[in-house]
Amino acid sequence: MEARFPGHRLLPYILIFPSIAVIIVFLVVPFVQAVQQSFYRTSPFGTTTLFVGLDNYAQLFSTPEYVRSLLTSVGFAALVIVGGLAASLGIAVLVTRRIRGVGFYQVAFIWTYALSPAVAGIIWALLFDPAVGLGTYVLYRITGYRINMLVEGVPALLIAAAAAAWNMLGYNICFYIAGLQNVPREFEEAARVDGAGPWRTFWRITFPMLSPTTAFLLFVNMIYAFFQVFGLIDIMTQGGPGGATEILVYKLYRDGFIRLRVNFASAQSVVLFLMVAAMALFQLRVATRRAVYSR
Amino acid sequence: MKRVVVVVVLAVLVGVGLAQGKTTVEFWHAMSGSRLKVLEKIVADFNAAHPDIEVRPVFTGTYEETLTKFIAAYRTGTAPHFVQVYEVGTQTMIDSNAIIPVYQIPGMLGETWDWAQYVRPILLYYSVGDNLWSFPFNSSTSILYYNKDHFRQAGLDPNKPPTTWDEVYEYGKRLIEAGVVTNVLSFGWPDWQFEQQLAIHNYLYADNGNGRAGLATKVTWPDPFSVKVFTTWTRLAREGIFLYGGPEYNANSAFTSGKISMLFQSTSSLDSIIKTANFEVGTSFLPRFSDEPRGNSVVGGGSLWVRKGQSTAELRAVWEFFKYLSQPDVDIYWHKGTGYFPATNAALKQLMDEGWFAQSPNHLTAFLQILSGRQDTAASIGVRLGPFVEIRDYIRSALEKALAGTLSPEAALAEAAAKANRALQEYRSLVK
Repeated sequence: MEARFPGHRLLPYILIFPSIAVIIVFLVVPFVQAVQQSFYRTSPFGTTTLFVGLDNYAQLFSTPEYVRSLLTSVGFAALVIVGGLAASLGIAVLVTRRIRGVGFYQVAFIWTYALSPAVAGIIWALLFDPAVGLGTYVLYRITGYRINMLVEGVPALLIAAAAAAWNMLGYNICFYIAGLQNVPREFEEAARVDGAGPWRTFWRITFPMLSPTTAFLLFVNMIYAFFQVFGLIDIMTQGGPGGATEILVYKLYRDGFIRLRVNFASAQSVVLFLMVAAMALFQLRVATRRAVYSR
Repeated sequence: MKRVVVVVVLAVLVGVGLAQGKTTVEFWHAMSGSRLKVLEKIVADFNAAHPDIEVRPVFTGTYEETLTKFIAAYRTGTAPHFVQVYEVGTQTMIDSNAIIPVYQIPGMLGETWDWAQYVRPILLYYSVGDNLWSFPFNSSTSILYYNKDHFRQAGLDPNKPPTTWDEVYEYGKRLIEAGVVTNVLSFGWPDWQFEQQLAIHNYLYADNGNGRAGLATKVTWPDPFSVKVFTTWTRLAREGIFLYGGPEYNANSAFTSGKISMLFQSTSSLDSIIKTANFEVGTSFLPRFSDEPRGNSVVGGGSLWVRKGQSTAELRAVWEFFKYLSQPDVDIYWHKGTGYFPATNAALKQLMDEGWFAQSPNHLTAFLQILSGRQDTAASIGVRLGPFVEIRDYIRSALEKALAGTLSPEAALAEAAAKANRALQEYRSLVK
């Protein structure tokens, strides 16, 4: 440090202090408190506190709900990430072609990202309302099957995942368009001269060239599917029906803030932290390293 | 010129002095939609009539959110002076050690107050022993709403709504076969409708007299009656008659848009339903099982709780507002604008005298239902549980599982009961 700031031994520490302070106050302290809380049981108004040791954790792993919630989260995230990214990539490829009115299409596909999750949630919840939903009606006309996302778990999860992926579509498309524009035309032309069809060109040239974008989007979408869909779930299903859309972060909220079991929710947040930390490490180490950055 | 300046300065000083003499009290509530406007008008009128008091109403989200926010605010010392809590939170508030029971307030201010003026079922619900703990405000109960036009189209008598569950089934079949609707019946607050069914047949929900004689240790279900309720609903759903409509007021739009013909919902939706529906709305008592005993429908809605640790001036301001709410004219305005019960006997008499119930008989339905039922058993007065919010969540989940066919009615209830009993046991470990 001395070398970069000659004669100012303290300056770098002073400059970095605000960031460190913010991290300590808003991340480290609450986290330590959460860990501490997870060993206690407190009455709603905080008048009585009992030390219960690992009881909250024991309850977490002895009840089938938590495991179910974990599986729901994984399933939900898989749907949102795989479905969302595949659709975004497909659309991005289409809207980067030389066609008339391409600017209009690009904007038309990107604007969903401008909607807040609350608005997106209301739109989709109304669309699949069992009594008055347009989507419900159209589906019934086509297939004869009357979908009821308020009662049936699997349709509810699929609809919530579709809404989540749809809301994120614009963001993903944006990045894929940028990525596609950076793929040098010469490579594709060379491949075409060598006799490769468009399908083969895409998978052998374009897709590998996009791997840094894909790696980044995988990471962002994972965070999105695990944490940020909270508002969407709250508006669309509130974790129902029968807990079918109760993903980890939503279960944590319901246990902590609706069912007023703060300590049980703290234990969940600690477990969730460990899981996400492990996933993030894995992503940074494996997925990012395997992406092709060089040209 | 100098004199003018002096006068202006004095006027400003007096103004500041007056402003400081004003007592401001904060009021958190969960009244949204058309209810919000009615409430805000009442508060504005009160503030205009009391220049030394300012009640500041703050909408804090749903009932669940309002309770959560109050708890969080209390723990950090930023709680409002009084708060609206739904009936589900009653036991939590009683055990909170954060409130002043309202029956003590007149005495603290050197006044007396006649608590017997409030409508009896409301008084009974919010009392511990003989003492009222929270101030009666927005009380309701659940009633049957039905579409009279649909009944006519199906060849049914629009003045004969179903009285029993057998008739619900029979009428439902008729309405579907006549092609009037594809689904017939839905519920608002499904978890609460389950409580209502137990109560109107005089069955307990939890031990220790529904948690009123002492903290409950266990829920009563799954017993043969609760299984019967779940089985009936599941069968109606399979036949397409019952359409599950989600929590709270979500099912209202299906009814007001004519997609279904019957709805169980709180009386507090009466005014918004009448205003939104473009058909003739009928109301009646909740259907029952003809071979089961009689109880009573139970009070729902909310009441006002006073936070402890406020100055005498603030407490007096809150109390003035409460007294204002109990004035017949204010109470009547609230009732007419929302459909909630008028809370006092005097308001009720005045409404009757002016012919209101003859003019709008739908406003009388809930009242007749609750006043004609029995009020001498714990089962018919209502449930009071510490972790009630949590337990309702489990019951709703159980109903969703039973309706989807994931679990049998009995297994769904048993699963919810295990969670509910665990919650009751945890709650007792913290309170006792």
